[in-house]
Amino acid sequence: MSAMPVEDLAIDLLTDRPWITLVWNDPINLMTYVTYVFQSYFGYDKPKAELLMLDVHEKGRAVVSTGTREEMERDVAAMHSYGLWATLQKDD
Amino acid sequence: MFKSRIGGKLTLELDAAELDVLSQLFDQMADLLEDSEGEVDADPLAKLLNMSGSTQISEDPALARLFPDGYSDDEHASADFRRFTEQDLKARKVVALNTARESLKDWQGKSSITQQQALDWLKALNDLRLVLGTRLEITDERDRDYDSDEPGFHLYNYLTYLQGTLIDALT
Repeated sequence: MSAMPVEDLAIDLLTDRPWITLVWNDPINLMTYVTYVFQSYFGYDKPKAELLMLDVHEKGRAVVSTGTREEMERDVAAMHSYGLWATLQKDD
Repeated sequence: MFKSRIGGKLTLELDAAELDVLSQLFDQMADLLEDSEGEVDADPLAKLLNMSGSTQISEDPALARLFPDGYSDDEHASADFRRFTEQDLKARKVVALNTARESLKDWQGKSSITQQQALDWLKALNDLRLVLGTRLEITDERDRDYDSDEPGFHLYNYLTYLQGTLIDALT
């Protein structure tokens, strides 16, 4: 009947986390550098950072973090300080 | 090149030619960042409140790459994001650049670099590669090993090599 279980909807409402940070592929940043930034800034372990980097590289972009709009603006600004091409948007 | 040492510190070794090239590139980067100040609105109140950032992406492709839009699908939000974050982003880039320039002063062939300085070096070298790569119109990843007699590509490849040694030393 219902497409979304009630408990999931409740979690969405409570956490208020509908925003995402996207990192886009670019031809200049080194793959090792992008991996290092994901580990260093987000604290991801190497396998996760490498998977995200490969997603960026092969699919053109990847969601690297999820959170409130303010949190994502902070992450995007941090990515720009590392020279990565990042944007935020509503997760739809 | 950068080398890792026991105890978390790093060593940077550069010969005279490398020192010369890096010093010149860092100087040019400082000029580029300084020139970009001209694009900022001159409203003194906004400046006082540290909100004097411009709202438009630069027409210079290299500056546009250093200071990209924060939103891909919302022009208005992008303008606001830029107004509130660009000055800080620029200041952070200048800090990283100055760390790198500082360690080249009174150069004796090699120098000890702390972890914190290494992070600034990493960002400063990356910003150089972004600007140079944009100027060289590198749009395809295969261009990374582009074999050309053009001096710009030699510089670009050198910066790629140097940044590679730094990432190796840090990981």
